[in-house]
Amino acid sequence: MMEKDHKKKAEPLVSVLLPTHSRRNSLPTALSSVVRQNYSNLEIFVIRDGGEDVSDIINSFNDPRIVFIDRPENRGKAFSLNQALLRAKGKYIAYLDDDDLYYPHHIETLVDTLEDRYDCQVAYSDLYRTYCRIGPDDEREVLSKVLDISRDFDRFFTLCFNHTLHVSLMHTREILEKTGTFNEELNVLVDWDLTRRLAFFTDFHHVHEITGEFYHPVGDSDRISVLYRKDRDEYLKNFLTIRTTRPPKPWPKIKDMSIIFTMDGQNEQVQDALVSIWQHTFYPYQIYLPLEQSEFGKLNVKIPNIVTVPVESQASNEQTIDRALAKCEGDVIAIVPAAFPIRNFWVEDSLYALINSSVNKEAFELEDSTDELWAVVLNKGDLEYARKNFPHLPLRQSLKAAGIIIRRVLAEEIPFQYDQLLEQARAAGKDGNWLKAARTFGYIAEHYQNKLWIKGLAAKAFFKAGLHTQAAQLVHQVNQQQPTVDNLLLEAKLNRQKDCKSAIEPLEKAEQMLDFSFSQTCQNDPVFKEKI
Amino acid sequence: MDITQNNTEQPSGHGVPAEPRQENTTQRYEVLQELGDCHTSVGNYDQAQRCYEKAASVGPDEPGPYVGLGVVALQKNLLDDARIAFRVACRLDPDCSKAYAGMAMVAQQNGDYKSAFDMYLKSLELDTDNLTSLLGLFQTSCRMGSFVQVTHYLEAYLDMHPGDTSVMFSLAALYMKDGRAEQSQKILLDILTLDPTNQDVANLLEEVEHKLAQRESTE
Repeated sequence: MMEKDHKKKAEPLVSVLLPTHSRRNSLPTALSSVVRQNYSNLEIFVIRDGGEDVSDIINSFNDPRIVFIDRPENRGKAFSLNQALLRAKGKYIAYLDDDDLYYPHHIETLVDTLEDRYDCQVAYSDLYRTYCRIGPDDEREVLSKVLDISRDFDRFFTLCFNHTLHVSLMHTREILEKTGTFNEELNVLVDWDLTRRLAFFTDFHHVHEITGEFYHPVGDSDRISVLYRKDRDEYLKNFLTIRTTRPPKPWPKIKDMSIIFTMDGQNEQVQDALVSIWQHTFYPYQIYLPLEQSEFGKLNVKIPNIVTVPVESQASNEQTIDRALAKCEGDVIAIVPAAFPIRNFWVEDSLYALINSSVNKEAFELEDSTDELWAVVLNKGDLEYARKNFPHLPLRQSLKAAGIIIRRVLAEEIPFQYDQLLEQARAAGKDGNWLKAARTFGYIAEHYQNKLWIKGLAAKAFFKAGLHTQAAQLVHQVNQQQPTVDNLLLEAKLNRQKDCKSAIEPLEKAEQMLDFSFSQTCQNDPVFKEKI
Repeated sequence: MDITQNNTEQPSGHGVPAEPRQENTTQRYEVLQELGDCHTSVGNYDQAQRCYEKAASVGPDEPGPYVGLGVVALQKNLLDDARIAFRVACRLDPDCSKAYAGMAMVAQQNGDYKSAFDMYLKSLELDTDNLTSLLGLFQTSCRMGSFVQVTHYLEAYLDMHPGDTSVMFSLAALYMKDGRAEQSQKILLDILTLDPTNQDVANLLEEVEHKLAQRESTE
């Protein structure tokens, strides 16, 4: 009892940010799920981002923890969140959209994690994707709840792909001093932009627990972010803005990459190459572009993160590199000729190997590198050492003379091994080769992370391959620890083959899970009752 | 410069998903339908009915819940309700073997063996694996004394499920009625290998062997 009281007193304040825009139907459910958290030390910012008046809904909760920012004009999600952040006093910040839902233990789970993990300033949990059908009266009918991703933190993956929704995420307020707040120029992928910046400064801790749901309508979506995505031009502009955002330094968790461009006198290729790098590079970079003074005004590109380096017209390739190197801010340097082919992962494969290499003095040739178009990535210190000690040698020879081992990346050194195996398993299933899929999932479960989630996928694959004993063992194991609707349904199907009675329990549990949001979170709310 | 002129995409490959996963929207329907079937199997007909009714509202185009409701009504001896439910299932999916089997059972219970026979046949045309229809067809055949079509379906079923002793026994009985005592004897001996204590089989085998002995002596 004493211990519990002590814990209660020590509960740090959490600021929950809930922007809303014309969703009177779903807002009560979302807000109710925050108000009914097991964790009580909250300040709950509901920010009306224009649209319908929702003050009656807010007032009906009669909860002093709710701070209502009632703004009639629509200024966008990023602006709304920033408005709340300006007033937030919590040690931690959590987010909820007005059509999503926390489970009662969501805040408590993430706070406990962050309080225990001093090395992480961000924690995130798993969420169900809740497929809903919208009825004629705008009511939602939950059709399925699927855990379609449960992925441990991988900095490279976060830089490349948006897989951590903000509904599942909590971070310290303090870290925003380093990352900055939300980018109000963006109207889509606003969350990913901040998540990506967070990854420059801290590790994230993944809690393998389902603590909420995000809404996914069947058919045409009314989600604002989805509507924006339909405007492809706008989406791409946002996407590229995010990928080229460089928060203020120092970056304790990211090695900055400087790309030194060598041009071989063919300036017309430069523009295309720069655009191509912009399109295909997800790792943070700056391009150092050696140019003669007379060429400065001629370059017609508005690409961010380009640093021009003035060079003389007669400068050799090595002199150009040395001049650029003197200006480089990066911890790692890629040296790339202008005509080098640029595609997805063109530099990141070798870069990943370099960053994770435990060997000193190693340089990695890029995969598409040839003798004519030779490109390499290496640590800045190694390059500086080689150039300082062997300035008269051509680049490659100077590296060798400095004792730097130049090699190609091996297959097992490239990033996203886990994701590649996952895709292979899924592709095998798609082709009907369920046994291969099951074995691949089994291999992933043994060698990588997210074991429970992967074991569930393996069980499903074994079932489809007709290997019911293996499927039954696996799915039972998973459901003992973290039951999901899918896995309970599978266990019931397998039990039913022997005895229908034993299938009833998992099915009833699955039905309860599907009914959860309505039966437990909302039914006692005055607003919800009135709506019914 | 207009960046949208260029082919800028979220990078795919290396395990990064290129497209969203396929929508999975059938869980609630599946849970309710399975739960209905399980409750039916253990005799909880009221709970089964509740599940099937909910499943029908979640999946209004699915015949399954109506087949379930028909089965529950049959168990409660509400033949009119059962017929209506099976008809709805048939309307939703004209190729629903189970719906025809259900309608056949209703007809059989009403003593309309001709209709029952036709609908069992239709059900088996749609799914030769439907054991309910196969055994129903056998029963109605016995009532009507017409065995030719039944034999074909029983043989087809046994090709798929060679060890099903209940169907083997039915087929042995039909061969016997058809005067094909050797074939009947072979099947009965096979059943006894699988199930040596089956007294019905032993009795029929005795009858068959008696007939064979009689035939031999007259020849």
